[in-house]
Amino acid sequence: MDSLPYYLQTIINGILAGCIYALFAMGLTLVYGVLNFVNFAHGELIMWGAYFLLLALAEPFALPLYAAVPVALGMTALLGAAMDFAVFRPLRRANRLTLLIAAIGLSFFLRNAAQLFWGAEVRTYGFEIRPGLRWLGVSLTPQQIAIIVISFLCIVGVYLLFFKSRIGKSMRALADNLDLARISGIHTRKAILSAWIISSLLAGTGGILLALDTNLHPEMGVVNLIKAFAATLIGGVGNIWGALIGGLIIGLAENIAVLFISPGYKDAVAFLIMVLILLSRPFIVAGERTD
Amino acid sequence: MLEIENVTKSFGGTQAVAGCSLSLAGLKITGLIGPNGSGKTTLFNLITGLIRPDAGEISFQGRRIDGGMTHRLASMGLIRTFQLSRVFPRLTVMDNMLLAPQRQAGERLRSLLLRFPQVRREEGEHREKACDLLDMLGIIHLQDQFAGNLSYGQQKLLELGRAVMAEPKLILLDEPTAGINPRLIRTMIDMILKMQARGQTFFIIEHNMDVVAELCEHIFVLDHGEKIAAGSPREIQNDPRVIEAYLG
Amino acid sequence: MDLLLHLTIVAAIYAIFALSLNLEVGYTGLFNFGHVAFFALGAYTSALLSLGGLSFPLAMSAGIVAAGLGGLIIGIPALKLQGDYFGIATLGFAEIVRMILQNQADWTKGPMGLPGIPRPELFSWQFDTLPAYLALVLGAAAVTFLVIGFLTLSPFGRVLKAIRDDETAAAILGKNPFAYKMKSFVIGSLFAGLAGVLWAHFITFISPGDFTLTETIVVLLIVVLGGKGTLWGPVVGAAVLIFFQESVRLLRLPPEWSGILGPLQQMVFGLLLVILMIFRPEGLIREKGKDTLARD
Repeated sequence: MDSLPYYLQTIINGILAGCIYALFAMGLTLVYGVLNFVNFAHGELIMWGAYFLLLALAEPFALPLYAAVPVALGMTALLGAAMDFAVFRPLRRANRLTLLIAAIGLSFFLRNAAQLFWGAEVRTYGFEIRPGLRWLGVSLTPQQIAIIVISFLCIVGVYLLFFKSRIGKSMRALADNLDLARISGIHTRKAILSAWIISSLLAGTGGILLALDTNLHPEMGVVNLIKAFAATLIGGVGNIWGALIGGLIIGLAENIAVLFISPGYKDAVAFLIMVLILLSRPFIVAGERTD
Repeated sequence: MLEIENVTKSFGGTQAVAGCSLSLAGLKITGLIGPNGSGKTTLFNLITGLIRPDAGEISFQGRRIDGGMTHRLASMGLIRTFQLSRVFPRLTVMDNMLLAPQRQAGERLRSLLLRFPQVRREEGEHREKACDLLDMLGIIHLQDQFAGNLSYGQQKLLELGRAVMAEPKLILLDEPTAGINPRLIRTMIDMILKMQARGQTFFIIEHNMDVVAELCEHIFVLDHGEKIAAGSPREIQNDPRVIEAYLG
Repeated sequence: MDLLLHLTIVAAIYAIFALSLNLEVGYTGLFNFGHVAFFALGAYTSALLSLGGLSFPLAMSAGIVAAGLGGLIIGIPALKLQGDYFGIATLGFAEIVRMILQNQADWTKGPMGLPGIPRPELFSWQFDTLPAYLALVLGAAAVTFLVIGFLTLSPFGRVLKAIRDDETAAAILGKNPFAYKMKSFVIGSLFAGLAGVLWAHFITFISPGDFTLTETIVVLLIVVLGGKGTLWGPVVGAAVLIFFQESVRLLRLPPEWSGILGPLQQMVFGLLLVILMIFRPEGLIREKGKDTLARD
């Protein structure tokens, strides 16, 4: 299929996926920047965001979409805050391995909790697929347009929040130096909580959009965690805009790659990119960052 | 021995070390002093390959070592200690010491499996030597304690003992007496002098001028990354540039 | 009685798996979250070769070697990374291995798996019965325990622990951190492969779905529950966990419950990991000041 529309469609799909991955990556890198650890349970925030919407739309709540989404996002934010409060705050001073293992255990717990409630089968929101725009032979459903618009809004929101607000300033101070920020009286608790809330909202939004475009299943967290991490690496860990660009690159790379390789390996593309980046970094001398 | 030629290193916009040159040829115990932030520890980090110089050369025993692999230095005969002592906290004091000897048969898989009697013999010899050194340092009674449980001063003594145990040609000591009580300082000084009598050379960063005066025959002074003076303790004490660097 | 034998065999296999992970995580400080990949490599290699007619000793050796090779290949790039990054990289590698097993159906029969893996035959003894297999597995576990014990108590093991505690200080003392981490990683992979081989020939049916992140979580839980950085820790942990896991099945629950039992149990495991890390990260058996080989 060597037609221009086919390639264009691939690019569009790549951008769509990229927007979603950008949201995932920005959330992940935000927590990394502020608390200096990779939240291995970030994938489950994504997954639960999607499932919370399913819950809100279904009986006995059966909320209309415009109400269900805020509810779902609110619950995701609550989950993120709870994660920090229950697990990561007690371990703030613990060593790296302990923290990572706790995060993995948490992720496992959340994954199976979802499977407990909803089963292991793949589900969808059940919205009808209506015809969308057609342009140059490429089609774009309303859902997909929504993905692009909403992602854009989120990115703008993050920008305003992070760079133009006082709480954003606190978060950036924390990212620079946690201990120094503590001493200088910056309200670290509030800033950390805000970081978690924003990270969860981004994850939840992305999760809902992803589920909208594809489907829901309890394992969707892990794979997207790896993609989010790959994206943050591309852009530089802790760098919000880098995460955005990284997400787009991964989305495009994935979809373009499928033109050449078997679709079963689509998820591996992000990972391979990550490996290539990690390998090209300078050899870290005996564990010290030789900056 | 150790030659540092025109070495420069900047971080961001600040020059930590600026065109510094010095030589330890023919010296036994040399001091490196200077106000805080003058680049002394950075220089040690450059020498031991933890960071790369932007310019300049560092040679040890005639071989260039700047920007090289840190782990190759010990077998060449160069060991350092750290300002905040880096003992292995979850290993015993004895195990910390036993890690120091170079080219141990037991550390390599092939010789561990094929030459086990030699491994046992070496372990025994090293253990004896470690006991001697720990005894000299007054901490032999702690040999089976996890190093992390030791007091700060005891850890610094252990780090010194570990460095000496490796029998290097040159030991870099980074503020060995900082923050420890006078009795332990005395133990440390005695150890350094005893080792020097056995042919060990030292290059010591220090803030404690009494210690510097007692130990060092020659001193280099750094300020803002540059070498501003060199000479005997008396010469340095009276050097106006040195006085100004500390007061100004 | 049969059940007891079955449980002990599974516990012993997991003990080998856990001892191998402990060498990497507990002794060398490597955050290997993809250990199941080597388990899978051992299992699949041995299974495929056995089904192809190769004798058990050869198939087993091939399985172990395949796992070790995997460790070598993955280790060279991954070990250049620190902490979190190494963790994610190994996690990703394990997923890739699983994807390959799933997708390359022409080699591995894909999602349908490999049924009918033959029971081992060594020197014309058929290890067909449970007691016989138990003997085999216990023998393997003993060998693993002794080898890893020997290594960790030796000067070699001392260097691993030093690297775990402070890589830079170890380098200053002349130890090459990358080389030692590599050796630890490959040896760990070899023994994980052994565990995989024993598993495949016991269960006689394997599929890619047996080798997911879940298995990594289980073995990680065993290692931290038992006490990382100790020799008996993984053994005790394996015994405790496997017996707990299987005893849950013993409760004759009504069939409606069976659907939720799986996820519920996994939730308990996840929760257990979290609680352990917060309240008792050192696990059941604490690290003691170990004597090295010369003193005995």
